Amino acid sequence: MRQQAISGLPYFLGLDRLEAIASPEDRVCVLNILGGESRTVTPVSNAFSGGNVVFGTSPGRSGQVLKTPAGDIPVFNTVLEGIRAGHSFNTGVVYLPPAGVRDGVAELIRVNPDLRKIVIITEKIAVHDAREIRAMAQANGIDVIGGNCLGVADSWNRVRIGGALGGDHPEESLVKGSVAIFSNSGGFTTTIAQYLTTAGWGTTTLISSGKDVYIQYAARDFALAFAKDQRSKAGVLYAEPGGYYEKNIDWQKPVVACVVGRWKAKLTRAVGHAGAMAGSGDSAEDKERWFMEAFGVGGIYTPETPHVSAKGALVTNIADIPAALTAVMALNGIQPDFAPRGSLSLKPWIANDQGLTLPPDLVLPTVVAPAPYDEQIAVRSQQIGAVMARQSMKDASGASLMDPQTQVTSVHGHRVLDLALQPLEAMFALPLVHEIADAHDRALLDVAVAAEVNLVGDPILLAADAARDAGNSPNTVMSVAAAITGPRRVERALACARALITLFAQSGLCDGRDDDFDVSDISVDDETRALFLATPEDADDPRPEAMLAAIKARGGKSVFLRFLLGFDQRLSRDAILAAITTTIAWGPLARKRISRLTAETLPWYLRLYGVMVGATIPGEHHRSGSLWGIPREERFSHWTMADICCLAMTGKKPDPTEALYVQILIGLLISNGPGSITAQGAKGAVSADGPQTPGRVQINKAMVGFLTHSGYSHGGNGFEGMAFLLEQFRGKGLKDPTDPAHGLDLTAMAREFALAYKREKAQAKELGTEVRALPGVHHPVFKGKSENFDPRERFIAKFMEERGEYNVFHRFYRELVRQLYEVGASRYVFCVNVDAIIAALLLAVLWKDHQAGNMTDRNLETAAFTIFLFGRMIGAAAEIDDHLNRGRNMDTRTPASACKHVV
Amino acid sequence: MEVTGMLTGAQLLAHVGFPATEVLGPDASEDQIQAMIDGHGLVFVKPVFRGGVGMKGKAGLIGRARDLRTALAEKERLYFAEHRHGNATAKANGVTFEAGVPAEHEIYFSITDDTRYRAPTMTITHRGGVDIEELDKTEIASIPFDALTGLKAFVVANALTDIGAPKEVISPLVQHLPKLWELMHHYGMTTLELNPIRMRPGKEGRLTPIACDFKCGFDRDDPRVGRLGLPPHLFAADISDFEQEVNQLRTHQGQSDVFVINEAGSILAPTFGGGANSLVTEVLGEAAIISSDFGGNPPYEKMKAVAAICYRHFLKQTNVLFIIGGKSNNTDILETFRGMGDALREHFSKHGPVPLYVVVGRGGPNLVRGMGNLADTLDSLGVPYRFFGFDSAISEVVNYAKRIDDWMRAGGREQIARSMNIAA
Repeated sequence: MRQQAISGLPYFLGLDRLEAIASPEDRVCVLNILGGESRTVTPVSNAFSGGNVVFGTSPGRSGQVLKTPAGDIPVFNTVLEGIRAGHSFNTGVVYLPPAGVRDGVAELIRVNPDLRKIVIITEKIAVHDAREIRAMAQANGIDVIGGNCLGVADSWNRVRIGGALGGDHPEESLVKGSVAIFSNSGGFTTTIAQYLTTAGWGTTTLISSGKDVYIQYAARDFALAFAKDQRSKAGVLYAEPGGYYEKNIDWQKPVVACVVGRWKAKLTRAVGHAGAMAGSGDSAEDKERWFMEAFGVGGIYTPETPHVSAKGALVTNIADIPAALTAVMALNGIQPDFAPRGSLSLKPWIANDQGLTLPPDLVLPTVVAPAPYDEQIAVRSQQIGAVMARQSMKDASGASLMDPQTQVTSVHGHRVLDLALQPLEAMFALPLVHEIADAHDRALLDVAVAAEVNLVGDPILLAADAARDAGNSPNTVMSVAAAITGPRRVERALACARALITLFAQSGLCDGRDDDFDVSDISVDDETRALFLATPEDADDPRPEAMLAAIKARGGKSVFLRFLLGFDQRLSRDAILAAITTTIAWGPLARKRISRLTAETLPWYLRLYGVMVGATIPGEHHRSGSLWGIPREERFSHWTMADICCLAMTGKKPDPTEALYVQILIGLLISNGPGSITAQGAKGAVSADGPQTPGRVQINKAMVGFLTHSGYSHGGNGFEGMAFLLEQFRGKGLKDPTDPAHGLDLTAMAREFALAYKREKAQAKELGTEVRALPGVHHPVFKGKSENFDPRERFIAKFMEERGEYNVFHRFYRELVRQLYEVGASRYVFCVNVDAIIAALLLAVLWKDHQAGNMTDRNLETAAFTIFLFGRMIGAAAEIDDHLNRGRNMDTRTPASACKHVV
Repeated sequence: MEVTGMLTGAQLLAHVGFPATEVLGPDASEDQIQAMIDGHGLVFVKPVFRGGVGMKGKAGLIGRARDLRTALAEKERLYFAEHRHGNATAKANGVTFEAGVPAEHEIYFSITDDTRYRAPTMTITHRGGVDIEELDKTEIASIPFDALTGLKAFVVANALTDIGAPKEVISPLVQHLPKLWELMHHYGMTTLELNPIRMRPGKEGRLTPIACDFKCGFDRDDPRVGRLGLPPHLFAADISDFEQEVNQLRTHQGQSDVFVINEAGSILAPTFGGGANSLVTEVLGEAAIISSDFGGNPPYEKMKAVAAICYRHFLKQTNVLFIIGGKSNNTDILETFRGMGDALREHFSKHGPVPLYVVVGRGGPNLVRGMGNLADTLDSLGVPYRFFGFDSAISEVVNYAKRIDDWMRAGGREQIARSMNIAA
C-alpha cells in the first residue's frame, strides 16, 4: 500500500505537488456521510467537483443515498461493503464524531489498498488519537490533512475535497489565479481567498490545515509541494502561535505570511484552535521573527510601514495580505491575475440607528452589496416595518409588564407613572406607535378622534342609549358602540391606510411630516385614487372640510395629506383619517418600531377611541354640529382629548388643572399587565379570531372583549373610595378640596373614624363576622413594614407637592392610616394605595358639581367607572395590537391537564 | 487543565506503579509529620497551588525541615503563599510535606508531543533537578518514538547511553520509565514531566527512581481523563464560572470555547472561527470582555443557549454586541443569528433591556436571511445596529466596533438609553 514518498525527508510525505492535493482524478469516500455537517457540505463539494464522491458510509444506513446536484451518492454500512460493491477511491474524508475518527482512519487504511490520502474534518480529536493517526498513516504511507480543518480545494480544476471551503457558493471565493493558500484557520482560508480578489489575485490550491497540536499536513509539507507547482507564483500562509511547523522553511517562491495571536500569550488554555498555545520559543513573536528572517525584511508590513522583499512579507492583519502580496510580486515583476474586484473598505449592508444622532464618522450609509446579496437585501428592504416572531402569547405580552415588586406597570417601556404625566393624546397613541407622540402628532390625533366622537344620526347612538336605559353598566354601554364599529365601518379607512403605505413604501420617506418631501414622484392609478375621494354618499358629511380646517389651524403637516390634496378633489373623512394615522405611524414604521399591520389598522383604533368616548355621552347631547353644546369647529381645532374625556364625564370643558388630573388618572389606569382581567379579555378575543390570519381579527370585538372583562368589581370599584370619602366629608362644609385653608381638622376626623373602626373591628371579632375592608388603604404587596407606602401613591404625592397643589382627600387618607395605627386599629401604618389616590383626585375634580347638585352619587359612580374605561381602553389597544402581531391562533387556551374540576 | 505537585502526582503515578516519594497533605497531623522526619531525616514543605504552577523553587517557595518546629513554621509561611508566574498570580491553599530522598543522581524526564517531529517525544537527562534549559544540549536527549508501539525500554537505554549517563542509573530507569508512557497515553495527558526523579540506593546499592516532583497537562477533549476520577475542583482555578457554564455546552458540533479577557470590558464579541477569534481578540484588546470561538456550525438551540449565558453574565456592562467572523464556510448564518437574536429578546424580556449597539461582520450560507432575522429582532427591541458583509475587512469592522464603543463611553450609551427609555 505504501506509496512513493518524497525522497530525502525524515518522514513520509507522498504529496509532492499542489496539483495532487485536490485533483480531478481523486475519487472520494466520505465516512459518516449522512451526519449533520456532511449532509449539507458534501452535496455542494460533489457538485462543485463534478461528482467526485463515489460513496459514503453510515453504519446501519446501507442502501440509502445522499442526494446531490451531481447525482445520488450511495451509502454503505462500511468501507469494505462499498469496495465490494465495486467502488474504488483514493481519498478518504472523515466526518465522524471525535471518538470515532481514529477507528475510521484505521478502517480506511486497512481495507483500501488504493488509499493515498485522508482529509479529517472533525474537530476536538483527542491528542492521543491524533498521535496514533499520525503513526498509522506514516507506517502505511498515507498523507493526512487536518483534523479540525475545512479540507482542500483547487480553483483551477474546480475540485473541493472534504470541508466547506468557499461555503455554499465555492465559485464565489475559489477564483482561478496564481496564489496558493495554506491556512491554520478554515474560515480564513476562504476569507483570504476572497480578500485576494480585491487586489486582483486568484488562487491555485487552498489548504485548510487545521490548528490542532498535530497538524498532519503542515507548512513544511506545503512548502515542498508549493515549490514544485507550476501554477503557483506566490503563496499566502496564515499561522498562529504554538508549534515549530513554520520554523526554518526554505520558501523557494514569494510568500506573504500572516501571523496572528500575540495576545494568546495571555491564555492559560487554548481557545478555538486547540494547538494555538505557545510553549517555549513558538509564540507569535517568535513566528514573526522566523518569517522576517526568511524574507529578509526588517519589520511587519502595514500600509504605513510597507516592509517587503522579493522573498515575501510578514503581516499581522489578514486585511493587509492583498496589498502586501501585490507589493512583493511587484518586486518580482509579476502583475495581479485580473483587475481588482471590489474593495475591503467598510461597507454596511443593513443598518438602523433607530433615530439616534451618531457622530458623522460613524453614520456610514449602507451600500449596495455584491450580487446575489444585493437582490436579497432589496427584497428585504421592500418589507416596511418591523417583523415579529409569532409565539404563544398566553399570559404574555410584548406591550405591558407589571413589576411584581413595585406593582408599577410599563407599557412599551414607559412606566404608567411617567405616562400619567404625558398629554392624554400621547397615551392614546403609545399603544399604536410604541413611542411617545410629539406635540405635532398629538394635535393630529386630537383632530382624528374629535371627528369620531359626535355620533348624531348614527345608529350607535340609539343602541348606546338603549343599552344605558336598560340599566347597563358603562362598560356594557360602551361595548355596544364598539360592537357596531365593525370591519365594514372601517373598511375604506383601512384600505386608504394600506394604499398610502404601499404608495410610499419605497419612496425613501423617513418622516411623514417632511414639508420638503417631493410627492410628485409618487404615481397613483385611478382605482387607488378613487379610494380616497368622497363619494355621493359622503356629500352630507361636513367633517372632511372641518378636519382639514382644524389640521391647518393646528399647524398640522402631513406628506400624505399634501399628496391627497394634490388630487384637487373632495376627500373622504376616511381618507383624511388614514392620512393622519399614516403620518403619525410613518416614523416608527420606517424605524421598524411597529409593524406594517399595526400602521394599517391604526384608523380602526382611532375610530374606536372616538366612538367609545362618544358613546359615554348620552344621546340627547349629540347634535348636528355640536356636542354637549360645544361647536364642531371649536372641538376640532382647539380641544384636546383630555378635554373631550372630561366633557364626557362632566358635561363641560375642564379647567387646565382639572384636565391635568383627568389625564393623570387615566394614565394611572392604563394597564396592570397581561394578567389583568381586562387584558385577558382583549387577548382572548384576538386569540379566538386567529392572529395568524390578521385580516380576520376584529379589533372592535377585541375591545368588546376588554369591556366584557371589566365590571363593578374590576373598574367600577373606583367609586368605593369616593363613597368612603363622601361619607367622611358629608356635612363638613368643604367647599374647595384643593384649598389648604379648608378649615377642617383632618387629624381629628381621621382619629374619630379610626376609633370607630377599632370598635367595629373588636365587635366583629366577638361576633365572628368579617371586618369591612377600608377602600384605598392597605395592599397585599406593600405591607409588613412599620410604615408602608405604595410607590404609585408616593409618585403622585411628590408630583403634587412639586406643583404646590393640595388635595384634602389625599391628606385625609394620609391622616387616616396614621390614626388607625395610633389608636391601635392596625399593627403598623398601612399604605395609602393607588385606589385612594384615584378616588381623591377624581372626587376633587367632581366635588363642586356634586355639591351643587349637578351630579348625583350615581353620576359619580358612572364617572369613576368611565375614567377607568378610558384608561384601560389604551391598555387594551396595546394588548390587542401586540397579540395581533405576535400571537398564535387560540393561544390563550389552558390545557385540560392544567384545569381543575371542583365539586 | 494542568496538575502540579506530588499530592495528586503520587496518586497518579500509583496507577502505573511508578515509585514516588512519601507525601502528606495539608491536614497531616503533627505526629505524622514527626514520623516522616524520623523516617527520612528531611521533609520538603511545598505550597499547594491549583492548576499548572511552576518555578516554585526559584521563587523560594519550597521549605526544608529537619525538625517539627521548622516544618510547622514553613507550613505557616507557605500555606497561603502567593506566586506570580507568567501573567497569572496563584494563591496557595495548603501545603504538602514530602519526604526527602537521599540520592546521588537526579533525573529529568518528560514526554510531550513535539511538533518538530509530530510524534510523542521523550526528553531525558541525568543532570536533572534544575531548569534543563540551563544545561548543555549534549547532556539532554530528545527522542521521538512511535505512538503505536510506545516508549520502549530500548529507546530509554539508547538515549541514556548517548548522553553518557552513569551506568548505575540506566538499568533502573529502563525498567521504570516506560510505565510513564502508559500513564501519559492512556489517561488523556498531553504532557508529563518528572523533575527530579531521585535515584534512591537500596539494598546492595541498586538504585530505585523516586519521583519527587510532578507536572502534567490533560487534554480536555480526551474522555480518558475521566478514568482517573480526579475531582473537578483540581481544575477549578483554570476557569471562571462563566467559562465553566459555557464549556458545558462544548461538543464537536459547534464550538463553545471562551476565555474571559477582561471582566470589565465593554465589547461582547461572539466570534466565529479560530482565525477570527485570533484576529478579533488581538484588535479589540482590553475592550473585549471575552475571547470566543462559536464557529463549527452550531445548531440553533446550542447557539441560543451559549448566547443566553453570555448575555446573562456580561450584557449589563456591554456597550457593543459585536457578532463577528469571516466568510463562514459551513456555519449557517440564519441559524446562528436567529439563536443569538432570540436569546437577546428573551434576555430583554427576563432581565430588562440594556442600552446596546450591535455591530455585525459576517459572511456565509443564508447570510441575508440571517441578517434580516437579526435586524427584525433588533428593530422590535429598539436596538440600533450596523451590519457589514464579508466584503468589508474584518479588522476594519473590529475597529468600527471599537469606535462605536468609544462613542458609547462618551455619551452614546446615555443617548441610546434615553431612546429606549431605560436607565443607562
